[in-house]
Amino acid sequence: MGMLEDLKLLDESLEQELQQTENLSALEALRVKMLGKKGQLTALLRSMGSLSPEDRPKFGQMINERRERFTALLDEKQQKMQELAKELQLRQEKIDITEPRPLPQVGSPHPNTLVLNEVVDCFTGLGFEVVEGPEVELDHFNFELLNIPKNHPARDAQDTFYIDDNVVLRTHTSPVQARIMTTRKPPIRIICPGRVYRADEVDATHSPVFHQIEGLVIDENISMGDLKATLAAFANRLYGSDIDVRFRPSFFPFTEPSAEVDLTCVSCRGKGCRMCKNTGWIEVLGCGMVNPKVLDMCGIDSKKYSGFAFGIGLERITMLRYGIRDMRLLYEGDMRFLRQFR
Amino acid sequence: MKVSMNLLKQYADIPVTPAEYESRMIMTGTGVEGIEDLGEKLQNVVVGKVLTCEPHPNSDHLHVCTVDVGQPEPLQIVCGAPNVAAGQLVPVAMIGAVLPDGTIKKGKLRGVESYGMICSGPEMGVPVELYPSVGDEGILVFREDHPLGTDVREIFGLNDHVIDFEILANRPDTLCVWGVARETAAAMGTELKLPEINVQDCGEGSIGDFAKVDVLDHELCPRYTARVIKNVRVGESPAWLRQALHAAGMRSINNIVDITNFVMLETGHPMHAFDLSKVSGSHIIVRRAEPGEILRTLDGKDHTLKGGELLICDEKGPTGLAGIMGGEESEITEGTATVLFEAAAFDRTSIRLTARSLGFRTESSGRFERGVSPATVLDGLSRACQLVNLLDAGDVVPGTVDIYPNPVVHQPVTASVARINQRAGVQVSGEDMVKILKKLQFDVSLSGDSLTATAPLFRQDVEGEADLCEEVLRYAGYDLIPVTPLRGAANGGRSETMLHNDFARTILTGLGFYETMTFSFINKKKLELLKLREGDDRLNALPLRNPLGEDSAYMRTTLLCGALTTLSTNMAHGNLDVRLYELGKVFDNAHRTSENLPTERSQLCLCACGEKEDFYSLRGVVELLLNRAGVSYSIRDNDAPYFHPGRRASIVCGDKTVAEVGEIHPDVMETYELTGRAYAAVVDMEALFACAAPMGHVKPIARFPLVTRDLALVMQDAQPVGPVMEAMAQAAGKMLENISMFDVFRGIQVGLGNKSVAFSLAFRAEDHTLTDDEIQRLMNKVLKVCKEQFDAEIRS
Repeated sequence: MGMLEDLKLLDESLEQELQQTENLSALEALRVKMLGKKGQLTALLRSMGSLSPEDRPKFGQMINERRERFTALLDEKQQKMQELAKELQLRQEKIDITEPRPLPQVGSPHPNTLVLNEVVDCFTGLGFEVVEGPEVELDHFNFELLNIPKNHPARDAQDTFYIDDNVVLRTHTSPVQARIMTTRKPPIRIICPGRVYRADEVDATHSPVFHQIEGLVIDENISMGDLKATLAAFANRLYGSDIDVRFRPSFFPFTEPSAEVDLTCVSCRGKGCRMCKNTGWIEVLGCGMVNPKVLDMCGIDSKKYSGFAFGIGLERITMLRYGIRDMRLLYEGDMRFLRQFR
Repeated sequence: MKVSMNLLKQYADIPVTPAEYESRMIMTGTGVEGIEDLGEKLQNVVVGKVLTCEPHPNSDHLHVCTVDVGQPEPLQIVCGAPNVAAGQLVPVAMIGAVLPDGTIKKGKLRGVESYGMICSGPEMGVPVELYPSVGDEGILVFREDHPLGTDVREIFGLNDHVIDFEILANRPDTLCVWGVARETAAAMGTELKLPEINVQDCGEGSIGDFAKVDVLDHELCPRYTARVIKNVRVGESPAWLRQALHAAGMRSINNIVDITNFVMLETGHPMHAFDLSKVSGSHIIVRRAEPGEILRTLDGKDHTLKGGELLICDEKGPTGLAGIMGGEESEITEGTATVLFEAAAFDRTSIRLTARSLGFRTESSGRFERGVSPATVLDGLSRACQLVNLLDAGDVVPGTVDIYPNPVVHQPVTASVARINQRAGVQVSGEDMVKILKKLQFDVSLSGDSLTATAPLFRQDVEGEADLCEEVLRYAGYDLIPVTPLRGAANGGRSETMLHNDFARTILTGLGFYETMTFSFINKKKLELLKLREGDDRLNALPLRNPLGEDSAYMRTTLLCGALTTLSTNMAHGNLDVRLYELGKVFDNAHRTSENLPTERSQLCLCACGEKEDFYSLRGVVELLLNRAGVSYSIRDNDAPYFHPGRRASIVCGDKTVAEVGEIHPDVMETYELTGRAYAAVVDMEALFACAAPMGHVKPIARFPLVTRDLALVMQDAQPVGPVMEAMAQAAGKMLENISMFDVFRGIQVGLGNKSVAFSLAFRAEDHTLTDDEIQRLMNKVLKVCKEQFDAEIRS
């Protein structure tokens, strides 16, 4: 039974050579050597002709068994080797994850824009529409319709920039409200953000150019309670739900009654600190019920409708929000300042 | 306005602490800036009597005294002052006393224990105006009698608080002690105790014998009142008067002048006192100035008047500016024997304009500017005469001049209780409204819902129901206002301009640009430095009539100047890599709106510098903005003089210029103090969005393969690539999905003066797989166009 021995030898040599194989090409060579058309197993199959017919099926079966087994062993080995090779490659591709690289550059909107966006989101959420108007404005809209008649001190050249007798740089965004009141019918619910101008020299807290956000609501039965609720919504959205709103009597020609609005100090949350001069309150904006004279001048029936108006200084709340002490920083455009905003 | 709390308390009780008082006043509408405790730095110093005074056993200049401070046992005090002596009444700082320079502790001086300190005037920090003998050498010795143990602050008038009131513009009636007393009494619920005014005249003669007054302009001087004091005894004012003036920040001059100042503080009526012997003809004439008339003011300066200013004149000519400043001639001096007191009402606007144009601002002019009620003028005048009686400063001559042709009458205001409540958002009964208004001295009646109220004569600010609403709310309490969220839905949202700006900001932020804001003004010189050509609309900037200076003399016609200035600031601070933009209005003075206002346009200005920047990087940013907005554009030559002549472009959509971009011209770089290279782009936001196409429906995605062909063309170096690519794209037709340029080569291999430009073309058909033949046909068309139009041939 020489063939049985041959088979046994083949088994042994395969096992031995499999163990010794170290790379994929050697493995492929082994596969050819064993299982190829000219391979050793094929050769054995061919030599079966010398066997007796009764031995042939049995022997053929043994060879086929081996073909299957060898294939499985070779496949297994191949898979292992491929995995090892992949692992090795990945290990070799390791990088230093702490090595610095330049970051992609992103910019930022101006701090005034960031805060304005918050304010606008708050009021548009309450159904306010953003309206804009000219910065070079007629005296008629900037003063006359707002109950600031000729020769009123607020019109002094000390405070107001004039182009000519009838044209000024708007001193507030209220003229936009006047324009809307003269052209639309109530209900009106608008905010008017924009640039305004006052003849102030530049210093840490003054600027001849700054921004306001004014709001106006006109409808039937509007009351100071509606105004307080609207401003409370604004204060809570911007500064947190623990912020309280306090109204103090005040005076503006445009409104009657008028109020100065204090918020719980955003720095100490009402405990008292340097920023609020230990009062726990900070003055943030002015507001009031639209003076019936203004409604009538603008062609709105003050017997039927009432309304409220408020004005917020954008720079003031931006400076509060980010702790900016010097207003000039907002207009200088120094990258070291601008890069801090996100 | 600073007011002594003690003085105020004479007219209205304040039964609470200063802090509570401050808060109550603020919440009823009388602003308080602060309350200063005058005696904060002088505590526990009392009047003591020196019983014995012996030389110190171990010193040649110290004394050992026993001092009775009204306690059971006298104190032993060591004193170094040479003027100390037994029998004196002196200020004694007790153990624990507070003085401006520190606190007093028990001490031992050269072996002798000392239980306090006898003080000099300077040691107590008492101003000489309050108590003249504090200026004496050595310890202060009281000349008048005081009970032992009296707190010295009472003697010096330092047991007082000074309240700094902030008066609202519509309430000039509260710009005086009586005014805040009225509000105080109403706020505290205490009784208002204003003095009864009665004047004792001397019973001889009449004012007509002494003086004559003519008012020639009743419009500017609605009321003029005067009285005469004879046998005037000019002298020092009593302590209470000096202290009241001191608390208000005024200096004591003499009793007559002090009376006029005190009356102004008390009643709000500015007064003037004339030495009648210096008034020519004893005749006062109130009239407007003639143009060119000259007035010499108190400071000795001559002013040429425009004409129309209200003057106080005598028979020789103008002596003073009505309500602003008196004349030097008629000032009160020690020798003054006869005085004319003036109390008047002058037109606020006239006073303001005159004071402004001549550069004066006095306490008096400030009050007239805010509004002095003509109706109460006589109160001021009579109060002054009453004080003359009280101070025995002269004899009041019988008779009063009162020129008041059109007396002020207040009309009743009718209001609805329900509407007042509706407006304020509160629920106050009609009866309570009546109580509040009565407290504020309104004449009120209530009939059902109808409230009728007449404001007191000193109030000039009550015109209608809304004003009554404010009065009611002030005293019902602003804290009563409820929080009632707005009812009804409304369609809110951002404006179109805002959305356009948001669009640009989002993209620019992602591209590393920081937003700046610069002033809307422009300095004409800096504008001219842009080398703009004559006739350029941007040179025709809108001038301000009253600028603060050169930098704010015109409204900007371009954002570029601001951008370059900001860039320069950054370079100066060592910020080398800069990408900035500003979104803002420019003012086109050449094109006017229907209201004859300048046209305001939204502009976007980008600027950049740094190693990574070049013309193409900034042009790319602008192109990206246009692409994202759906603008189809082309790049054209540009002739902007502020750009480098070889590196500038206009970006146009049809015949509309949407943007321009370029490298800053070296001359402009120099004048703006910029170094290296910098790039800028100006985008007309309105043009951009006029050309923008909103996004439509998506296209289906083609399933057939993409075929790419690369192509290198040799053309003249001067040939711009843009038009070549545009022509290639047109020739290739709709199968061309994309065309890009990926290389430019210049060298001897392609011939001198030539360049080889490499393009990549990608083709795809929507409905089938493209064959080689089809591609070749398309490429041949492309090549033919390149040859014919641009003499560009395939590189061999």
